[in-house]
Amino acid sequence: MAAPTQPDSAIGGSARKRDGAALLTGRAVFVDDHQPTGMLHAQVVRSTVAHGRILSVDTAAAEAAPGVRLVLTGRRAAESAGPVPYFIDPAARGGNRTDIRCLQVDEVVYVGQPVAAVVAETRRQALDAAALVAVEYEVLPHVLDAEEAMLPDAPRLYPEWPGNVVMHNRYGTGDTDAALAAADVVVSGELRIGRSTTSPIEPRGYLASWNAAEGKLTVHASCQNPHQMRWMLATSLGLDEGDIRIVTAKVGGSFGLKMQGHPEETLVALLSILTGAPVKWIEDRRETLMAGARQQVHRFTVGAMADGRIVALVDDIVADVGALTAQAGWAMPNMSATTLPSGYLVPDCRIGLDIVVTNKPPVNAARGFGKDAAHFVMERAVDIVAHELGLDPAEVRRRNFIPADRFPHRTSTGLNIDSGDFVGLLDKVLDEVGYAGIRARQGGLRHRGRYLGVGLGFELTPESSDSPGTFVSGFDTTTVRMSVTGMVTVLTGVTSPGGGNDTGIAQIVATELGVPMEWVELVQGDTDRCPNGFGNFSGRSMVVGGGSATLAARDVRDKLALLGSRMLDVPVDRVEVADGVVRVVDDHSRALAVPDVARALLTRAFAVADGIEPVLESTRAYKPGNIDHVPDEFGRIQPYPTYSSSLHAAVVDVDVETGKVVLLDYVMAHDCGTMINPALVEGQARGAVAMGLGSALSEQLVFGEDGTLLSDRFKTYLLPRAGDVPELRMVHQVTPSPFTMHGNKGAGEAGVGGAQAAVANAVEDALAALGVRVRGVPLTPPAVLALIDEAAAR
Amino acid sequence: MTGMRLTVNGVDREIDVDPSTLLVHAIREQVGLTGTHVGCLTGDCGACTVVLDGRTAKSCSVLALSADGSAVETVESLADGDELHPVQRAFWDGFAFQCGFCLPGMLLTAKELLDSTPEPDDAQILAAINGNLCRCTGYNTIVSAVRQASGCARTCAKETPCQES
Repeated sequence: MAAPTQPDSAIGGSARKRDGAALLTGRAVFVDDHQPTGMLHAQVVRSTVAHGRILSVDTAAAEAAPGVRLVLTGRRAAESAGPVPYFIDPAARGGNRTDIRCLQVDEVVYVGQPVAAVVAETRRQALDAAALVAVEYEVLPHVLDAEEAMLPDAPRLYPEWPGNVVMHNRYGTGDTDAALAAADVVVSGELRIGRSTTSPIEPRGYLASWNAAEGKLTVHASCQNPHQMRWMLATSLGLDEGDIRIVTAKVGGSFGLKMQGHPEETLVALLSILTGAPVKWIEDRRETLMAGARQQVHRFTVGAMADGRIVALVDDIVADVGALTAQAGWAMPNMSATTLPSGYLVPDCRIGLDIVVTNKPPVNAARGFGKDAAHFVMERAVDIVAHELGLDPAEVRRRNFIPADRFPHRTSTGLNIDSGDFVGLLDKVLDEVGYAGIRARQGGLRHRGRYLGVGLGFELTPESSDSPGTFVSGFDTTTVRMSVTGMVTVLTGVTSPGGGNDTGIAQIVATELGVPMEWVELVQGDTDRCPNGFGNFSGRSMVVGGGSATLAARDVRDKLALLGSRMLDVPVDRVEVADGVVRVVDDHSRALAVPDVARALLTRAFAVADGIEPVLESTRAYKPGNIDHVPDEFGRIQPYPTYSSSLHAAVVDVDVETGKVVLLDYVMAHDCGTMINPALVEGQARGAVAMGLGSALSEQLVFGEDGTLLSDRFKTYLLPRAGDVPELRMVHQVTPSPFTMHGNKGAGEAGVGGAQAAVANAVEDALAALGVRVRGVPLTPPAVLALIDEAAAR
Repeated sequence: MTGMRLTVNGVDREIDVDPSTLLVHAIREQVGLTGTHVGCLTGDCGACTVVLDGRTAKSCSVLALSADGSAVETVESLADGDELHPVQRAFWDGFAFQCGFCLPGMLLTAKELLDSTPEPDDAQILAAINGNLCRCTGYNTIVSAVRQASGCARTCAKETPCQES
């Protein structure tokens, strides 16, 4: 492939994706593309009951089927593999835990839970044989609804627990009772956020290869966190970490789903060890769709003064996380609670949170990580206050936003917001969407039978988190290495499931080193090559991957400058490294090519480089500021260095006959501080908004009464298609973070909650004349019609 | 196993398949071209799209044997050596993909549209790619890349050495 011409490889430029040619030509290798000699195929046998005791697992017919090499039951698996360790252990947060197994031994707690596995020579043989595994269950009562699960006589998922609550927490400070008593208006409401999911187009998949002679395990995985997976497999399988290599080369989208902690990770590795052959398992779409991303009920009370100032927020959250998982997903509702009251000055808050298990598949980590729910609720609350007071929703936001000169600002729930200008975002959005004009047109349209609505949604996105004592880490590590020919290899602990942080990091290294981006090779997702790191989550990759790459690149640059100055016979403070040369600052004609300086350092270490340590390599970790794990007087910690912000405006047209919501326009004003690569930032935001629009309007995981997932394919679980998504018009604002290397904040999650909120508020606005009160998402056509009927009945 | 013939990207291939083998699996595993992806196996996502006897088809919904004797073009056929097809260039320049998993379907569908409709309007672009799911981009950049590619196709036709597959 011809060397790409880089439109702009500097920091702040929109360089094209480094891996573009490989992806565009079909040469990129995803996990399912590996086909080593002798590879076997695995199929998982899953529970058919929502809750039951496993009485027997008859494997005889499956074992006799053609091509079958192994049928593994939970009991036999437990002889070779221990529990899967948690990404975030509930016990570390004072909650209830249970052992998570790669295959269930005695009990199942959801339809789809792994109970056995079949390994065969072909995929088809594995599929056929899996159907022959006969599992007999004693069916136990099950509960699919979190609020029912909290009742005293509800069936218990885990008999050793006192109930079905993983943990109960309270957040917030102040005297909400007094504040509500003094408020001019007090409004209460209930909001329901339906169960949607991430569903990347590439499902999960693992290929494990056990080398019995060397006692070494190599796993190719579609996974965001290779180092955590190595630790997890070492723990569950009793191997040394040094004997495990995890490779996560190309990942076909992830959005949190492929954070480590799934039972199949341990399972597939175990299957390879037991068969002595490479074993591949690729999830099918039905399995992918079992994973939830969110499901919550909020009961809130908000108090405000007549001028629109919100003085108190009380919210009781019941978060349904399905069955417990070792993956990080169960912990997301904590962020729903602590992200309230978002970017508003609400002095008195009391947030109660119950994280509840039900007999459904686990809620796995998902873009938004619970923060999305906070935005949906807070933005609905603001609109309801505006309605009660007869004020415009934009004006109520303006009066309540934390002013731009008040940062850093610690919220009632403990987050320390680094910087921002929320009123600035509001002004930009109102201007771009033509807010005043829409308001002026609405009345006329309504007379002609059109229901046009505009809705706003503010979103505060805490990013790059560090959770003490877990593998949610707020730092990362990068090695920058220059070869004797001047070529640069960057090895970093962060990974990219598609968003393009590899390109951004290469831009940073090229800029800092003063060499062309084409000289920079970047390696991610290989535990044998990359320094210990934590992968991809929480919008961290450019903050800490970029930050550590900067430090390491500067070390190498300084070494080049030192030797170059000696070779040019000028003081070191008179040279710079730029455009691939070491040159005299005020006389660019005196220059040495970087490869010549590199070669001199590494081949003439006892001559021209005498006295200089001859290494052109540096490994550095970067810890951003603003993280504080010492609890304050209210017990609050501060796990996030940066807070991105965005304001969304949706314009909708609602067909009151069919309930269909058509998006006419969408504007997002976005602020993630300094943008390393604006086009990649925009890409993340557009994708997140589309995901939010899907969960607001069409995406819904539906379960039958027996706990079986009914929306188990893309014909029934409706991702937005091209025709469903309007042109998203983006406006940028840049308030640099004072706490990160380049002033950048996380980009990658902002969009989900803002889109949900803006759409919900727009639908209510459109149907205001009918008295409709939106009570949740998704706002599918039947749901909208039900709201209209409900309003008519009032 | 049954023997069958396919012409894949202009090369005649003889492969053995099971009667239940899907075309997508035959292409990926027997022919060994893994640029065609499996996303859903229900014909909904389009990651498995190939050109089958001149028309795009979702190869997860075609039994391999039923394509015996057919000509198949995959995403690997789009570039001419090191020279990317204008659609590929437009997608790269326009940030029209992130993870790239949906690309086989998006690229081949866009090319098919532009081959038959050199200057499509937005409605035609949306109609063409509506059968292909992308979870990363939100589609806006894909639509504009197709638009851009159609502009490029016009420009290239006027000048000369634009390669045609």
